[in-house]
Amino acid sequence: MIMKHHLAMLMRVSLLQTWRRLASIREQSQLFLTVIMLFIVGYLALSFWLFYRGLHFISAFPGLGTLLTERLLYLLFAFLFVLLLFSNIVISHTNFFRNRETTFLLTLPVSRLTIFRWKLLESTLLASWAFLFLIAPLLAAYGLTNHLPWHFYIATVLLIALFIILPAIFGSFLSVSLARFMDRRSFQITFVVLAVCGLYAANRWFRPEAISDEMLETRVLAVLDRLLLKTRFAQFPILPSYWLSASVLNWAEGAISASIFFAAILLSHVLFFGYLATTQMGGLFFDAASRVQSRGSVFGGWGWFKAFQKRKQKFAFDTGFVEIMFSLVPGLSSDRRALLTKDVRIFWRDTTQWGQSLVLFGLLGAYIINLRHFSQQLTNPFWVNLVAYLNLGACSLNLATLTTRFVFPQFSLEGKRIWIVGLAPLGLRRIILAKYVLTCTASLILTLLLMLVSCRMLKMESGQTAYFACAISVMTMALNGLATGLGVLYPNFREENPSKIVSGFGGTFCLILSFVYILGSIIFLAFGAPWSNATAVPWVQAASGWFGFAVLSFATGWAPMKLGLRKAKAMEI
Amino acid sequence: MIEIENLVKNFGDVLAVNGVNLSVPKGEFFAILGPNAAGKTTTIKIVVGLMKPTSGTVRVAGFDVQTHPLEARRRLAYVPDFPFLYDKLTPWEFLRFTGQLFRMTESHIQTAGRELVSRFNLESYLSKPIEALSHGTRQRVAIVSALLHNPEVFVLDEPMVGLDPHHARIVKDILRERANEGMTVFVSTHQLSVAEEMADRIGIMHQGKLVAVGTREQLHRQSGVSGALEKVFLSLTAEEQILSRNSPI
Repeated sequence: MIMKHHLAMLMRVSLLQTWRRLASIREQSQLFLTVIMLFIVGYLALSFWLFYRGLHFISAFPGLGTLLTERLLYLLFAFLFVLLLFSNIVISHTNFFRNRETTFLLTLPVSRLTIFRWKLLESTLLASWAFLFLIAPLLAAYGLTNHLPWHFYIATVLLIALFIILPAIFGSFLSVSLARFMDRRSFQITFVVLAVCGLYAANRWFRPEAISDEMLETRVLAVLDRLLLKTRFAQFPILPSYWLSASVLNWAEGAISASIFFAAILLSHVLFFGYLATTQMGGLFFDAASRVQSRGSVFGGWGWFKAFQKRKQKFAFDTGFVEIMFSLVPGLSSDRRALLTKDVRIFWRDTTQWGQSLVLFGLLGAYIINLRHFSQQLTNPFWVNLVAYLNLGACSLNLATLTTRFVFPQFSLEGKRIWIVGLAPLGLRRIILAKYVLTCTASLILTLLLMLVSCRMLKMESGQTAYFACAISVMTMALNGLATGLGVLYPNFREENPSKIVSGFGGTFCLILSFVYILGSIIFLAFGAPWSNATAVPWVQAASGWFGFAVLSFATGWAPMKLGLRKAKAMEI
Repeated sequence: MIEIENLVKNFGDVLAVNGVNLSVPKGEFFAILGPNAAGKTTTIKIVVGLMKPTSGTVRVAGFDVQTHPLEARRRLAYVPDFPFLYDKLTPWEFLRFTGQLFRMTESHIQTAGRELVSRFNLESYLSKPIEALSHGTRQRVAIVSALLHNPEVFVLDEPMVGLDPHHARIVKDILRERANEGMTVFVSTHQLSVAEEMADRIGIMHQGKLVAVGTREQLHRQSGVSGALEKVFLSLTAEEQILSRNSPI
């Protein structure tokens, strides 16, 4: 009874805080609110339209449309489950063990189980809402394409609400277990080993198969069957995503009893694991929280590690690897080198910071490298160009999430320590510029490399390759300028968690402007590209496209930087 | 009120707390001193139940903080050096929230809350969001919220950080009053003047061990040094350092 009372109190306080946060956004700027609303509506409308057209296209395949659509849905929910699980592990870890509210609550007469329940609830909502927002247009498009009745949408919403609980519970359990048994170093090693194994397994599984032209002409069904075999893992009957997909699809087909059967399987698992988590995890959670606070190295008891630590102590006064690397950069003054070294070290030592970007760019890299297998199909220059532009878009969108997530909070993360760098003889202006150069260089290495590999895989000519390389370079500089500038214009020195800094006014604004910029850039570039049509593009059109892209990039990157630098000059530390 | 027996805490291969034994009776103002990384904060975290000990037991008001955490925490209040407060709440909302967590009645929250708010001069801040308050004012809000349920044991980590002399005096006075009324106060501080002025007994921790415990006079006798507490502190911690260097491994 008391536990429920405490949980209700915590929920009430959280709702009150959320409400006041929303109210303060409204007070801040009407323009901002309008831009966000327009963006949300625009995203929903655009993605709905794209999904609707896509599903129409697929369903038009004679005899295969339904099969392909169904398989797509199975795959969607299977990957959604994996993404939700990953997201829940990361967010639960932060919420359970790096959260000041948790520490505060642990000293109050609130039971450990109540604290765990509360944090689980909070993590579930934080980890899941964005995914639901992303897939909502697809499900709406699926419903409309198949002319499904109104109750399909209600049933789907209920089923998905049920579904997101399972990855949340598994994620919280994994996060508690990881915290109990692993420190940062052992986690990093395990993560890298698992990522390599996963990539190897995926590479083996999705390895292209040689199919003769004759088979493609005469044995379409057999070829399709072999292709679909690779995706059959999504229909493995003990996967929660299978129960959800089966339930949704059966409901769509009017087989309500079958749908209820799969929903009941899902419900029974949610109830079983939910019961375990909400009644048994309190002690394990506290044990993990205590270990996180009191952890030496997991390897601490091992002789080789002790010897390694002793050897390391001998080099304590020596210059570190990162600093040596920066000292090789010509013309870099010692104060700038110190600042850059600090930023790189802090970034590297926070696994949650770079783990997500590794996944994002890893996926994009895997896709681009696999483009070579489609080069036979991409004989038409139109498709080659289209894919190249899509790659440019995907690469810059990935970069936009990266700049918003990591570059935008850089200035705010100086937080209470802003006086250390703020009062240094280097001056805030040069500090901001140094941060900009560092993030720009680091992201250029990633984006340029991906773009060059993409062009190579598409067997593009050197002129076209240079064109796309220039485009992504300019976009990288502009997006970094935007994120750095807005980060200074809208700092949050109170918050130490970068993901919370990003979720504020400035971070959201940065993400929206980045997306708008990418959309505008792709339109300008496609408009001005000499290869976009079969016929030659008049030079006026090409020049105006490039000019538009240059002006847009300059305005996006330069204006926020200029305003940010001006604000930094007048900033009182 | 606080009983610590053979407390040991390892961080991997580092011994942070090394066999601490201590008993702080009801109504005593106990100050714990020590250089950085002496093990003070770790000891406090174990006392308030944030961390499990490697071995040993801690009892607060007769309850083992590991086996009966809720009973112990109902009788305890803790204010860390940088306390957590809900930024979007007002101080009064926060006080009510903590009072309700301790299952105080509404009338009790009203009477005790109003008295403490007035004592700490917080009236003009009551309707402002906590995020708009200065560090010192936030510290005052945290102390008031901890005192609201009239704990039997009050643990504070560097309580004077950020407080102006006027409010530091108020905190000292109220802690002394409460100790006289029977509340056990356990304070960790680097400000030797606070310990010297306020504490009934002082403990000095160094390298995870409680190297000395006693009244000011007892500590003077133990160290063989007369004068300010600073000299006693430096003498005792230096002695211990020499001893630990010379001891066989």
